[in-house]
This record gives sequence, structure tokens and C-alpha cells, in this order.
Amino acid sequence: MKKFLALLLALVMVLSLAACGSNGDSEDPSGNEGGEPSGNQGETPADPNTLNVCLASEPDTLDPALNSTVDGATMVSHLFAGLAKWAQAEDGTLEIVADCATELPEGVVNDDGTVTYTYTLKDGLTWSDGEPLTAQDFVFAWNRAASTDLAADYGYMFELVDGYADMWATDDDGNYLNPDATLNVQAPDEKTIVVTLTTNVPYWNELLAFPTYFPVREDIVSDEAWATDPSTYVSNGPYTMTGWEHDSVITLTKNEHFYDAENVTMETINCYLSDDNNNMLTNFENGDWQLIDAVPTNEIERLQADYADEFFITGQIGTYYASWNINAHLLPEGSTLTGAEAEAAESEIRTALALLLDRNYICTEIGQAGQQPASSFVAMGMSDADGSEFYMNAGDPSDDYAGYYDVSDDAYEANYTQAIETLKKYYEFDESTQQFTNVPSITYIYNTDDNNKAIAEYIQSAWAAVGINVQLQNQEWNTFLNTRKDGNYTVARNGWLADYNDPISFLDMWTSGSGNNDVQFGRGDHESTAMYDLDLTPYGYEINITDGTWAETYDVLISTIKTCTDDEARYAMMHIAEDMLMSTGCITPLYYYTDIYMLDDSVQGFYCNPLGYKYFMHCTIGG
Amino acid sequence: MNSKLLWYIVKRILLAVATVWLVITVTFFVTRAVPGGPFLGEKAISEAATAALEAKYGLDKPVMEQYLTYLGDVITKFDFGPSLKQRGQDVIDIIGRGLKVSVKLGVTAAVIALISGVVFGAIAALRRNKFVDKIIMVITTAFVSMPSFIMGSLLLVLFALKLRLVPANGAEAGGLILPVITLALYPMAYITRLTRSSMLDVLGQDYIRTARAKGVSGPKIIFGHALKNSLIPVITYFGPMLAYIVTGSLVVEQIFAVPGIGRSFVSSITDRDYTMIMGTTIVLATLIVVMNLISDLLYKVVDPRITLE
Repeated sequence: MKKFLALLLALVMVLSLAACGSNGDSEDPSGNEGGEPSGNQGETPADPNTLNVCLASEPDTLDPALNSTVDGATMVSHLFAGLAKWAQAEDGTLEIVADCATELPEGVVNDDGTVTYTYTLKDGLTWSDGEPLTAQDFVFAWNRAASTDLAADYGYMFELVDGYADMWATDDDGNYLNPDATLNVQAPDEKTIVVTLTTNVPYWNELLAFPTYFPVREDIVSDEAWATDPSTYVSNGPYTMTGWEHDSVITLTKNEHFYDAENVTMETINCYLSDDNNNMLTNFENGDWQLIDAVPTNEIERLQADYADEFFITGQIGTYYASWNINAHLLPEGSTLTGAEAEAAESEIRTALALLLDRNYICTEIGQAGQQPASSFVAMGMSDADGSEFYMNAGDPSDDYAGYYDVSDDAYEANYTQAIETLKKYYEFDESTQQFTNVPSITYIYNTDDNNKAIAEYIQSAWAAVGINVQLQNQEWNTFLNTRKDGNYTVARNGWLADYNDPISFLDMWTSGSGNNDVQFGRGDHESTAMYDLDLTPYGYEINITDGTWAETYDVLISTIKTCTDDEARYAMMHIAEDMLMSTGCITPLYYYTDIYMLDDSVQGFYCNPLGYKYFMHCTIGG
Repeated sequence: MNSKLLWYIVKRILLAVATVWLVITVTFFVTRAVPGGPFLGEKAISEAATAALEAKYGLDKPVMEQYLTYLGDVITKFDFGPSLKQRGQDVIDIIGRGLKVSVKLGVTAAVIALISGVVFGAIAALRRNKFVDKIIMVITTAFVSMPSFIMGSLLLVLFALKLRLVPANGAEAGGLILPVITLALYPMAYITRLTRSSMLDVLGQDYIRTARAKGVSGPKIIFGHALKNSLIPVITYFGPMLAYIVTGSLVVEQIFAVPGIGRSFVSSITDRDYTMIMGTTIVLATLIVVMNLISDLLYKVVDPRITLE
């Protein structure tokens, strides 16, 4: 027994030594030969050539075609260069400029209405391994990204390229009709790319700067695991990936083969991978990291005070809203209304319920991050035909406020009174208690998150104040997505971030067949509800429908917008689409999203775009 | 005796295999029964794209067929399949990376807890009711009752933010120091208290009194007789301690951003990354089953009075 005890102790000691030993030589997280500043003690980083940032946790993929996250897009935008890019002009504004292309020419409209663009590549473009970059690489990359084989999340970004619809056409059994179909994009020689779009869209240049449109090389991506290992990751942008310690850090090092390398000022970028906001903040506060893309919500107030020069709130094109299931019934028991009449009544009820919410309270007391109260679904930051803000022109032009209701602080009382009057038309109101007595109980669902919960509780209390019983139900993320998608709910928390600066990205999701149509427009009972009017004759179309169904009106309107080449008419029709959407009351916008980040004040030359992508290549530290 | 032990081991191994198989089967069908799927996102992809992905990963086949294929691949080829979310990566590679870090964290914490727990426990018992004993008891009571997420946050603020002695990020050099301490404190305190009470118990036994009466030296009594026998309860704690460390590391890895397996385990469930859920579950289940087996065997070896059934 004694022997055993001695053995056990010896084993324990050996194990502990082994463990400590391997602990000591734990990997250099930067993964690069030069190493990173080892000091965690200093206020400012010792190395002005290395920027330490933390955007989010481990990205699912850094394959430009497969990526669908904002943090992934930021990294991919440093690793690759497309035909166009987001750049900061002298005056600080952002613009889309040519990147690999020599210029971004206008398209040529063909006889059949399609539009053909011809691009010429700059001289001397190469991949990070020194191989020349050719027009064929773009052709290959675009066909790959749009393919059924890859089935990428953002494959639909190519839907306006001629040929995309053929690639995805299936018969009734789900078999592809044209397995050999490709996009209508050609490379007549090594430096020329010719692409044909089904229609002209104003955001085409912006798409060229979108990661899904970046080039990849066929021999590189033939290895499916190419994008997970620095040794096989060949790119063509300002940086190359020189290290990826999974779940820990991705290291980007300046690419000397990049055509514009002389203007890339930051040598090394360490993208630390963490999703714990408290941990991110600790690393920022002790000076290890210079940029963090999220902070704990309950710290916002303190950080704004303590780090006035380092705490940033920027607009992001997105809306936080509540979506209603159009097929869920809201009328009181015993109501005799049916069909279109019932739907009209419920539209009014939903709109009234939206008026009962104080959006300023939600933004300042709950969100606390500079969110703007929303009065329309298409978010702040989207431009209109004349370059002004789309949301400023939304709603009735005769109103003295922007959007569909007045969300200013002063207007709340009037909104409240109006909402009560509307609801009185349908429900019994007890004047003595100022409460409605026969509103059916409503269940609000949200996905588990502190902010969502606080907003849900506010909505519950706001409606409870007038006698409406609201039950809250939080669901785990994936279950929640499923519930919403299937329409098994009455009202749900929802949010949408645009992928490009065009209002259509907020509007085409509500067609009856769309996968994002959580409201269930044109489905179930609503499929046969004929109550919508659409008159497009002022814009030169022979479309004038009275009392049509959702599919006959909204779906038609969206497809008309998508093929319309007259900018003015196009934007006017997008306003009509939003009017239709908002008239149903199924969308209750609460606020426009903002993006919060913290940036060390020693860093200069940083910028980010409205989609939330951050750019570090022109940064310098100190000085 | 030896053949009996051997038969016991064989029996236990068979039981372990059956347990793991049961875990695989239940997990497989439960993950597919819960709502949602791996290809859902805030931005829905088209039905055609979902169908294309399901066909690519074989999710369009009947669940039973998927199950048999999966089981076959795991048993015959040790192939856990590709991750459905982290495209281009195999589950086995992702788990391997995380496990390396988690095992380092867990084993170090266990060893530290064991050594320091026994030492402090013995000291406390030998200095019973003296000042040292009281101090040790007060501190261990605090550690036993404080959850790891509070302890972790406290250590993080104190040592990483205020004193800046260690990095806050678990992935950096020296970054595992705080997570190891956080994870080790609870079992250490528990073992200290266990060792103390069991040592006090042993010190009061007749055979110790006999040894003293015979004139055996103090250290010899302590190390030769008392400590050895007072460790038996500690060994029985080995299994629960391991369970604590495995579950506790999920929290600790999150607080200190340690790139271990805990994070993949949690995120795979949220993502409905079926193959990742299966992989991490199989690995963790196997780990616990094996460790419990070892713990039971050790128990038998240390205390011959125990009979194995």
C-alpha cells in the first residue's frame, strides 16, 4: 500500500509537471515569426506596426463566397480585393471606387433590356503566392459562389446576373433543369471581364465590393479545407493570412504582392476571436487590444463617460422591429367581422398597438447605445432617388414628421390618445379604470438576450397599462427562427440588417414566396384575402388592381421594381411598397440599429462602412 | 482475486461501451427532433439552397438511414463527419484542437486541487482548532460556496485588469493561469475539508493509538498510517470532481476566452450543427465514463475491504 501511495504521488507530480510544462510553452497567439509585443502591462502597445482588434468569435468560414457574417466580411475585405471597394475620400465620406478594375464604367443596355458591363483589370495583379491574377479567376469565382453545388448563404447576391435563374431552375421533383448552366460572365482575354445583368440596378458597383464577388483561384479552392489553414489560404488583397490559432487569433500580415502595397500602412493585424463582451472590454481597458466591436450593455453608460474619445456609435442600416403574424386573430370573441373586413380591422388594431409604445423610452432607457426611434421599416441610412434619406420621405408627405408615425417625445401623448380611440372601435373600454376588458391575450416571443428581454418587458407593461394581457415567451435562437419562419406565433421580436444600400433589400423579403416572410403575407388565410390596391399607371405600367390579393399586388410591385430602370419611378414604387407594408400594421418598427465599438485614441486612419465592415489597412498607431 | 478483478474490468468496459452507444442514439434522435436546423439563420436562404445543402450532407435521407450511416462511420472509420456550420472543417479536427486545450486546463486544475487539497487538509487536521485550522476552514468554506463565474470574474478584474499580472485572454501565453486557478478552487476546498475530517477520524482510531503507544515516531504515524487511510474518501471524490471540472470548464472557458471544447459544445447546439453536437457529446460522454471506471478501480485498489460486484 505504501508503494502504491508513493506511486500515486509520483504520478501526480509528473502529471503536474507535464501540465505546467506544456502550459509554459503555449502557442504564441500571434502565430507570426516576428512575434507580438509581449507586454500586457503597458498602456499603449509597444509595436506601432501591429494592431490588435477583436470583432467576434471564431468565424465559421473565411471563404469569401461562403461567409455571411459582418466580422467575416471585415477580415475577407482585408484579405481579398474585388473589382471595387469601399474607400474613404479626403473629406471623410465613403465611396465605392475601382479596386482590381481600372475603372467602374457604366453599363450598356442591350436590345432585350439586359445590361452589359465590361471591366479591365489593372496591370500586374497577382495572388499572394506570386501567380498572376486573371479575368478567368473572377469568372470562376462568381460561378462558384452562385452555384447549386456550393449553396452559399449569399449565393442569391448574383440573382440579377443573367443566367442565375437558369442555374437554380428545378422541376417539380426538385431536380435541376439546367445542371450545366452558368452565369453570363465571360473573360475574352486575361484582363477583360464582361458581365451581363438582367436589369440595371443602382447598387451594382456596391455589389462588386461585396465579399461574395471577390475572386478565388480554382486550383486553390479545389481543396475544400483551403480557407481554414494559413498555408493553403491564397488571397489577392492587401493582407495575407499568416496565422490562425483556432478560437484564439487570426493574424493578417501585409501582402507585398498587393498592387497598392505602398499605401497599406499597418503591417500586422491580430484579429482576436472572442464573443465574451466582458472579456473583450477587459482586454481593451488594459491596453492589449486597440479595437473591440462590442461592449457589455450594462457598461455603456460608464464607458461613454470614461472613454468619451474612444467610445463610438455609428449608424448601421438596419431596423429592430416586432413582426405580427398576419394570420393570428386579434379581434374580440364574438366579433362578426370576417375576411377582408376582419383583416382591415386587425391592421388598424396593430397600428394602434404600435402607437402605444414609447420608442424614445426604448432607445434611451433600454438600448442606451444611441439607437434612433424608428417610424418606418426601411432603415435610416438608405438613400432615396435624390440622395436624401429614404426614411425622411416615407409615409404621408403632408405629415410634418418623417415616417409612418410621429416618434418624437412630444407626440407620445397624442399617439396614445389616438390609439385608445382606435381600439375603442373594436374592444370594450372601461372608462373608470381606463382599461380594455375584452382584448384577447397576446403572446410576444423573443430570442434569449438581455436587450430583447428588456424590450419585451417594456412592451408587456405598456400594453398591460390599457388592460391588454401580454404573455412573454423567450425561445432559444434556432427554435425561435423556426417558430417565426413557420408562423407559429402572434407577435415576435425581429430585426433586419441590409446587405447593400438600396431599399429593395428591406422590401423584397415580404413577397409571399420569400424565405424571410415571417409575417406570412399571402400565405394561409391571407392568401385569399383580396383587399389591396395597386396603381402603377402613373409610372408607365399597365397595372391597376383594385381589391387584389397580396400576391396580385405586392409581389407584382416588387418584381416590377426589380426590372425598372428609371430611377425616379423605381424609388417612388419602393415608397408605395413600404406604404402597403406599413398599412397592414404587421411591422412595428422600434428603432434603427447602431454599431458600437471602442477604438484606442492612439489609432488613426480607421473607418467603417454602413454595413458595419471595419477597415484597418490605412491605420497608424501613435504619432 | 485477479481473475475476479479482470472479469469486473471487462464487465465495466462492456457497460461503458453500451452507455456511450446509448448516449449516441439518444442524442442523435433528440437533436433531430428539436425544432430548427443547421441551415436556418436570421436571413433565410432560399428553399432551393436549403435543399441543395441537405442533399450535400445527406440530411434529406430518412433519419434512421442517417443514424445507421453515422454509427457505421464512427465505428468503422472513426469518422465524425464534416461540420455543418464551419464549412471545410472536419468535426474531429475541431474537437481535437479544443480538447487539447481543455485537457490541459482540466488536468492541471485537477492535479493542483488534489495536491493542495490534501496538504491543506492534513495541516488543518494536525492543527485542529488552532489558528491555522480556522483560517483554512474559513477560506475553504468561502471557496466551496462561491460559484466559479463569480470567482472567475473577481480574479479577472483583480489580476488581469487592476494588477495586470496576467493576460485576460485565455489564448495568450500565461493566459491559462487564471482559468486553472478558478477551476481548481472549488475541488481544492472540497478536498481540503474531506481530507481534514477523514484524517481527524483516522487519528482517533485505535490502531493509531496503538502505534503511538508502541512509540512509533510522529511523522511515521502521519505519513505511514493516518494520511494513507484518510485518502480513501478523496479517491471516491475523484469521479464527481471530474464531472465538476468538465461542466465547470464550460463556464470558465467562456469567462477567460479559452479556446477549449466547451465553447464548441455550446455553440454547436445553438447552431444545430448536428455532427458537431454528436462529436462533442461522444467525446465528453466517453471521458466521463472512462474516468468513473478508473475512479472505481482506484477505490478498490486503495481499500481492500471494498468488494467489487
